[in-house]
Amino acid sequence: MSTALAAMPPSAHSAGTRGASDAAVRLQGLTKVFPARRTWSEMIRHPWKGGHTPALREVTCDIRRGEFFGLLGPNGAGKTTLFKILATLITPDEGTATVGGFDIRRDAPSVRRILTPVIGDERSLQWRLSARENLRLFAVLYDVPSDVARERINELLDLVGLADAGEKLVGAFSSGMKQRLLIARALISEPAVLLLDEPTRSLDPLSARSLRTFLREEICERRGCTVLLATHNTEEAFELCDRVAILDRGRLLAAGPTAELVRDFGDMRYRVWTKTPEHPVFGALVADVACGPLVQTPGEDGWTQIEFELAEGMQRAAQVLDLLVSQGAVIARFELAPLSLADLIRRVVERKAVAHRA
Amino acid sequence: MRKVLALIRAGWLTRLSYRLQVVFSVGGLLFIIVPLYFIAQALQPVMAASIEHEGRNYFGFLVVGMITLFLVTAAVTVFAETLQSGIERGTLETLLMTPTRLPLLLAGMVGYNFSWTGLRSLLVLLAAWILGVQLAWGHGVLALAILALIILAYIPFGLMIAAFVLAFRTTGPWPQLLLTGSVFLGGVYYPTHVMPSWLEGVSTFVPLTYGLRALRRTLLDGAGWNIVASDVAILGGFVVVLLTASVAAFSFALRYARRAGTLAQY
Repeated sequence: MSTALAAMPPSAHSAGTRGASDAAVRLQGLTKVFPARRTWSEMIRHPWKGGHTPALREVTCDIRRGEFFGLLGPNGAGKTTLFKILATLITPDEGTATVGGFDIRRDAPSVRRILTPVIGDERSLQWRLSARENLRLFAVLYDVPSDVARERINELLDLVGLADAGEKLVGAFSSGMKQRLLIARALISEPAVLLLDEPTRSLDPLSARSLRTFLREEICERRGCTVLLATHNTEEAFELCDRVAILDRGRLLAAGPTAELVRDFGDMRYRVWTKTPEHPVFGALVADVACGPLVQTPGEDGWTQIEFELAEGMQRAAQVLDLLVSQGAVIARFELAPLSLADLIRRVVERKAVAHRA
Repeated sequence: MRKVLALIRAGWLTRLSYRLQVVFSVGGLLFIIVPLYFIAQALQPVMAASIEHEGRNYFGFLVVGMITLFLVTAAVTVFAETLQSGIERGTLETLLMTPTRLPLLLAGMVGYNFSWTGLRSLLVLLAAWILGVQLAWGHGVLALAILALIILAYIPFGLMIAAFVLAFRTTGPWPQLLLTGSVFLGGVYYPTHVMPSWLEGVSTFVPLTYGLRALRRTLLDGAGWNIVASDVAILGGFVVVLLTASVAAFSFALRYARRAGTLAQY
C-alpha cells in the first residue's frame, strides 16, 4: 500500500459498495465568491461599493477512490478555484470538502499529505536546479525517508523518460520535459489523490497523447491513484475519464459516467462532405428524419461540408447515409463531428431547461 | 529541521549556479571595506572622543555598524522579497501545498539569504581584523548572541512587511522608512549620544540603538555581560513584543489571502 493511502483514516479505506463511503473526494455545497476587480474610475466614484464574482456555486459531487474523474469547463468555469480549494490554498465561503475523509479546513496538513496538485505551470519548478535536485527537495518536503527517496527518484525519472536528463538544469528542458518532471514531482509522495490542471496544454499532439496514455495506464490503473483532471478539451476528458463533470460559470451542470454523457450529448452531430449540397434529399432529411437545421460550410474544390444532428445515434446515422447515397447525393465523407465544449455545454443547458419545464 | 536544511540547500545551489553573480557579490565587498577604511582613518581624530566606550577605533565602529546593517537589512527585506519572487515564479503555491508547516517553510526559504549575508559579514569582519581592528575574540559567543538578538528584533518587521505583501502585493514604503530610520537613529555611523537630545529621545524606540551599543562594547571594547546586560534586556523586550505582534499580523494576512484567493496570485 502506498504511503499516502496508508495515511488515510480508516473510514476512507472501507471497501463497501460504491457510494458515500467510497469517496476519495467529497464536495458538498462548495461556494466561493471573489471580490470583483474594479476600474480606477469605479473605485473613485464608488469607493465603498464593491462587486463580487462567483467562482463556485454550491458544487456537490463525490469522486470515488481509484477513479479518473474529469472536470470539464471553459476558462473561468471555476476548475482551478476548485483545485486550489482542495489543495488548501483557498478557503471556501460555504460548503465543505473532504479528501480521503479529511476536512480541507480543519485538517489541512493531512489533506496535503495525501493530495498532490499539478496546478502550477512549469515556472513552479526550480529552474536552476537539476531534475534530480527538484525531486530530492520535494521528497524531503513530503517526508519521504532519504533511502526510499533515492530509489523512488530513479524510478520516477525512468518512468517519465527523464533518466538521461536527471542531472541537467531544468531551465534547459523543453516544455514537454518540464511537464513530465511536474508529474514526477507530484508522484514523489505516492499521493492517493492527484489533481491535474490541463496537463497537456503546452504539449505537441504526440507528447500529449503519450502523456494521456501514461496518466490513464500508469497512474490511475496500475498505481490506483484517484485522478482529477481539469480540462477544456472534451476529447481529452471523454478519452481518459471514467466520469466527467461539466462546470460552467461556477455551476456543476452535469456529472456522470463518460459513456452516458457521450451517448446523451456526444453521438449526435454528424458531418457530410458533398458536391451536391442543393440535392433535394437534404431538404427531405430535415423534414423526414428531423435531424435539426443543416449547417453548410463551403469547402475547397467544390466540396461542401454539411453538419446536422441526429438524436438516435449510430443506427439512425446508418439509415441517413443509406438514404443520401440511394437518392444520388454525391458523398465523399460521412463522419461523427467532434463535440466542442461550447456545444456540449449548450446541449446540457438546453436539456436541463427542457427537463425543468417538464 | 530536515525540511529547512533542504530548502536552504536548494537556495545555495541556485545561488551558486549564477557564478559571476557570486564573484561580484564577494568581490564587491572590497569596494565597501577599502573606502570605509580610509574615510574612518580621516575621521578618527574627530570621532575618537565620542566613541570612547565603543571601541575608540572609528574604523572598527563603522565595520560593526556595517555588518549589523547587512543583517538587519536582510531581516527586514528578505521575507517580503522571497514571498514576492515565489509568487511571481509560481514556486510559492507549490511549496504551500506540501505538508510542511509554514514557519519551517519560511525559515527554509529565507535561510539561504541569511546564511549568505552572514558569510559576507564574516568576510568583512575578517578583512577589518586584517586591516588592524582589535576584536575581542574571547567575547565572540556573547557578541554572536547579541547579533542574533538584533536580527530577531528586526525579523518581526520583516514578517509584517511580508504580511503586507501577502495581503496587498506590495511592501509599501515600509522597508525604506524602517531601514533609513534605523540607520540614522540607531547609531550605524555615529553613536546616538552625539545627536540632538530630542532626536536621541526618538532613538530609544529603535532596537538597533541598544543592539549596536552592546555589540560594539562587547566586540571592540571587550566588555562583559554585566556591562551590556541592560541593553540586552531592552533588546529582548523588543523581540518578545514585536515577535508576538508580527506573528499575529502574518497569520491574519495569510487567512485573508486564503479567503481572497490571492495567496499565489501575482
